[in-house]
Amino acid sequence: MIKVVEGIKYACILAVFVFIGSMLYGETSSKAVIDDVEAAVTAAMDLSGMEKASNRMIKRLYGLNANDYEGAVLYISTFNMDVEELLIVKLKDKSQGETVRAAAEQRKETQLTNFDGYGVEQCKLLNDSVLDVRGNYVLFVVSPDASEAEDIFLDSL
Amino acid sequence: MIFSSIFFLYVFLPITLLIYFLMPKPGRNVVLLIVSLIFYAWGEPIYIFLMIFSIVFNYLTGIELEYYQETGDWKKERFCFWLSVAVNLGLLGFFKYYGFFMENLNAILPFQIPYKELPLPIGISFYTFQTLSYVIDVYRGNVRAQRNLISFGLYVSMFPQLIAGPIVQYSDIEKQLKKRKTSLTRFGEGTTWFLRGLGKKVLLANNIGMAFDTIVAMPTNELSVVTAWIGCLAYTMQIYYDFSGYSDMAIGLGKMFGFEFMKNFDYPYISKSITEFWRRWHISLGSWFREYVYIPLGGNRVSLPKCIRNIFVVWILTGFWHGAEWNFMLWGLYYGILLFLEKYVLKGVMEKLPGFLKHIYTMFFVMTGWVFFFSGSMGKAFSYLGAMFGMNGAGFIDATARYYLKSNFWILLFASICATPVIYRGFRSFAFSKGKYKVGISVFVYGGILILSTAYLVNATYNPFLYFRF
Repeated sequence: MIKVVEGIKYACILAVFVFIGSMLYGETSSKAVIDDVEAAVTAAMDLSGMEKASNRMIKRLYGLNANDYEGAVLYISTFNMDVEELLIVKLKDKSQGETVRAAAEQRKETQLTNFDGYGVEQCKLLNDSVLDVRGNYVLFVVSPDASEAEDIFLDSL
Repeated sequence: MIFSSIFFLYVFLPITLLIYFLMPKPGRNVVLLIVSLIFYAWGEPIYIFLMIFSIVFNYLTGIELEYYQETGDWKKERFCFWLSVAVNLGLLGFFKYYGFFMENLNAILPFQIPYKELPLPIGISFYTFQTLSYVIDVYRGNVRAQRNLISFGLYVSMFPQLIAGPIVQYSDIEKQLKKRKTSLTRFGEGTTWFLRGLGKKVLLANNIGMAFDTIVAMPTNELSVVTAWIGCLAYTMQIYYDFSGYSDMAIGLGKMFGFEFMKNFDYPYISKSITEFWRRWHISLGSWFREYVYIPLGGNRVSLPKCIRNIFVVWILTGFWHGAEWNFMLWGLYYGILLFLEKYVLKGVMEKLPGFLKHIYTMFFVMTGWVFFFSGSMGKAFSYLGAMFGMNGAGFIDATARYYLKSNFWILLFASICATPVIYRGFRSFAFSKGKYKVGISVFVYGGILILSTAYLVNATYNPFLYFRF
């Protein structure tokens, strides 16, 4: 019996080594500069009616301190009744990915709550939004061009 | 998933409670285990594998240790124990300190070693300490090995305290895993703990945190002395309400499910010495280090040099446990020095000081200590400290300081008063005294906390607990 216990235990240790190995040799960090990624993504989108927001707005809308990251860019609609947004964050380390993902999900939920019941188009755009965490980059985009923006985002990394 | 979110409060928790209480008692541990794994996987879908590994590996280790103890095979028992300690600490070390180690190695080497830093599995520092507590207790013969995998899995992964403690020692919870009492009274008590924690986090910590975030984002050479101290005070309050709020919610949830977790905070800011502060702050971590590091090293029943060594070992480890950064090490060392001074140098002087001076002394060093804690690096910490002591040339007080003082005065004052037992003890003695409307008023107060917190959360940005990063 104890031999079986030992056997399973060593199999567990082996499995955890394989797990860590697969994570280490899995997705790698991108060396792309955030300005280049921003330029590529914004070129693929219709930004009329949107403007670049300050770090203070990133804090206000997403609860994220831009200084905590390698870089963070936010574009928001100039008109209150529009929900188009573009957030690109370059992480300092990948452990920040979950925080940014959760912040973007929370932002989406807040906007859905705000427009629930009367903003049919806005809710559709929000539901079709793209949230992508790739290595050390995060993209959150609410736009009719969300899908194209995502493709360009992935190419630019 | 975080406790202070609409989804948790109005979907996850009610469904969990419903299933839990509908389930006959023998099946409740299974429900809690499954729910806990879902809770963990919600934010960490990949690292659920690591959690399951930790459960199975340590469960088997316990059985093995007991077998070797019964057969008297001490050599194999020792090997099994040290292997388990190495694997548990190895995993924690790898995920938490590998990047830090490589970064520092690259800084001193003439060439660069490429490395990839993996994200930190949430709660790993907490659940690793719990599994270590189990293995050490079985090895010492203090507890029997847990034969039920579900019960052991629940001990490691129980969602109320999984992410940020309190760190539950196995010996404290062994019996409750098998048999625990749920009652309406205990459930109600748990609800009040939970709501107090929710209010601390959502109404106090998050709001005070906004002031801190804006101050700390300013260039330190522009911070006047008063602004820098307001920022530091805001963080002092934010971290207390954030972390003790989480602990209260965890304790409250535990009570709802019939568990009793140890108290993690006991009004630390009323302390009159640093020693007392650490008896009141993050009590479960302090107890863990005392039980499994300080006492095995000899505690204070050894020669003076060894006793001093023990203090510094514990405090450097405490600092390092908080994060893989030099500023955390320095923070640990800082407390090591203060505790050493209090124990061996200042004891006589401290006894003669009037109470209010002892309190000022304690808060001064606690607040200064938080600077190392909230600064991302040593450079930033010293730069901020420079601002606090007027060494950056930005003056004593300016318009910014007046603005922050004016806009945060009442909340900081309220938070400072609530950090003492005055209000809560007053409320308790009022609520539990005889009177016609007193129960109604209590329900109104706790209901008010829930409604206000919900209102804040509906439009809130993502605001995780500060201790999630550890």
